[in-house]
Amino acid sequence: MKEFMLIFLGPSYDELGLSPEELQGRMGKWFAWGDKMKAQGIYRGGAALHTPGKRITGVDRVESDGPFVESKELIGGYYTVAVDSFEAAAIVAQDYPDYDLEGTVEIREVVNFG
Amino acid sequence: MVDHLFRHQYGKMVAILSKIFGLSHLELIEDAIQDTFLKAALQWKINKPEHPEAWLTQAAKHRVIDLIRQINARKSRNQHFHDEPMASELDDYFLEHEIRDSQLRMIFVAAHPSFSREEQIVFALKTISGFSLKEIAAALLQKEETIKKRLQRTRAKIKDAEIQLEFPQAHEIESRFAMVLQVIYLIFNEGFHSTKKDVLIDRELCGEAMRLCRLLLIKENFRTGSLYALFALMCYHASRLDAKVEQGEIMDLKTQDRSKWHLPLIVLGNDALRKTEDYPDFSLYHLEAAVAMEHVRAIKFENTNWQNIIALYDQMLEMMPSDAIALSKSIAHLQIDELEQSYLILKSIHPDALGSRAYLWHGAMAEYYEKSGQFQDALHCIQTAVSTCSSELEQKFLIKKRSTIESNLI
Repeated sequence: MKEFMLIFLGPSYDELGLSPEELQGRMGKWFAWGDKMKAQGIYRGGAALHTPGKRITGVDRVESDGPFVESKELIGGYYTVAVDSFEAAAIVAQDYPDYDLEGTVEIREVVNFG
Repeated sequence: MVDHLFRHQYGKMVAILSKIFGLSHLELIEDAIQDTFLKAALQWKINKPEHPEAWLTQAAKHRVIDLIRQINARKSRNQHFHDEPMASELDDYFLEHEIRDSQLRMIFVAAHPSFSREEQIVFALKTISGFSLKEIAAALLQKEETIKKRLQRTRAKIKDAEIQLEFPQAHEIESRFAMVLQVIYLIFNEGFHSTKKDVLIDRELCGEAMRLCRLLLIKENFRTGSLYALFALMCYHASRLDAKVEQGEIMDLKTQDRSKWHLPLIVLGNDALRKTEDYPDFSLYHLEAAVAMEHVRAIKFENTNWQNIIALYDQMLEMMPSDAIALSKSIAHLQIDELEQSYLILKSIHPDALGSRAYLWHGAMAEYYEKSGQFQDALHCIQTAVSTCSSELEQKFLIKKRSTIESNLI
């Protein structure tokens, strides 16, 4: 079994000014997706990330504060799932709830030695 | 998650925090709550909480401490909130009955006489019901900017008039209570009589009006005949919501599939209407509920007791002369072919006085002419109705009527 990371890129809900009702609608879809992955036994982990960030670059370890990219390129969180192939991971990613908000899912295979 | 949990929690938390900090900080409070929800959403996306409601309540309590610091930073030293509240003291504000009490106070604030009618509705929908400006704009068919301005005006008025989150004084309570009922009634009507394409928003307005009514009904001192009558009226109307529009077409009382009427709501309406008898007060809501009841009790359209309905309209007109009620009465006469009576009433009304609902008068005129076999006049009237009607759905309905009239002319 391979492991894949589904990385979520897109504007934050904060920026989109979603109403309480809209937020709840989104949450319902996220919950349903999470529950589905857990029921299939493929869920391995995940985290959500706050938007402001910091970068340290180069030999001089120069620190800079975000934003570094356009909001639709911003990483908001990730899931890791255990499936057989990229194709299977892409199927899992179909249920990501925020495509209509210009969201993107990037799928990367996790390197496992051993 | 419970339906509308976020929206309802929003209203509850705004009420609690306003009780703690006062209405003058309303804007700050509303921003803080919105921010709490965004944080919740960020976290919940990946980690679903065990008890969403408890999570939100806990988050709101944390917010209180933040807000004290924020508000203190804005004020001069001697105006500071002295201490951070003890956890137990804070918990008191979050007790179920305290929350309800704060929300009830907020409903009375929404009906404050210094707000215009439009402002009252916007304030209630935003602050008590947790709708966003965009949602309110869509529901009231207004621009978002207009809604925003109205809301800002209410906040300015709260500061200017030093409006507090309190129940009105004893001598004021009766008139304010009447205003509260009116605000609820208007919110319901915005939902029920509107014919937007987005049916969902209409339903939410109706549901919200009924929820506010229920909140008032919980408290014994607020129970009056008028409140029960208003609730009954809304139950009867709401029972027909599913049957009102089918496949994008309006169904009138004649064509509605009555098996789609929601029986539990009718039963609830009957119970509420019966309760009105325990109270001495009497209002237009009583009569309007009685009319609605006559409609829902008829198994078929042909069974409608129009004589009773006409008598009820007469009583309403006695209490409050109104062109809109007179128009309804004239239409009732048409249903039982009392054409002369209907015509006399229609002639006494000037359609311009009906504002955006003038097309209903032209439609009624068309029906009168059609029933009397004057198809040319009927066609002329229905044409005016079509061209003055601003709702797409209603227009479609009228155009269908027009083709029936035209088919008579050939």
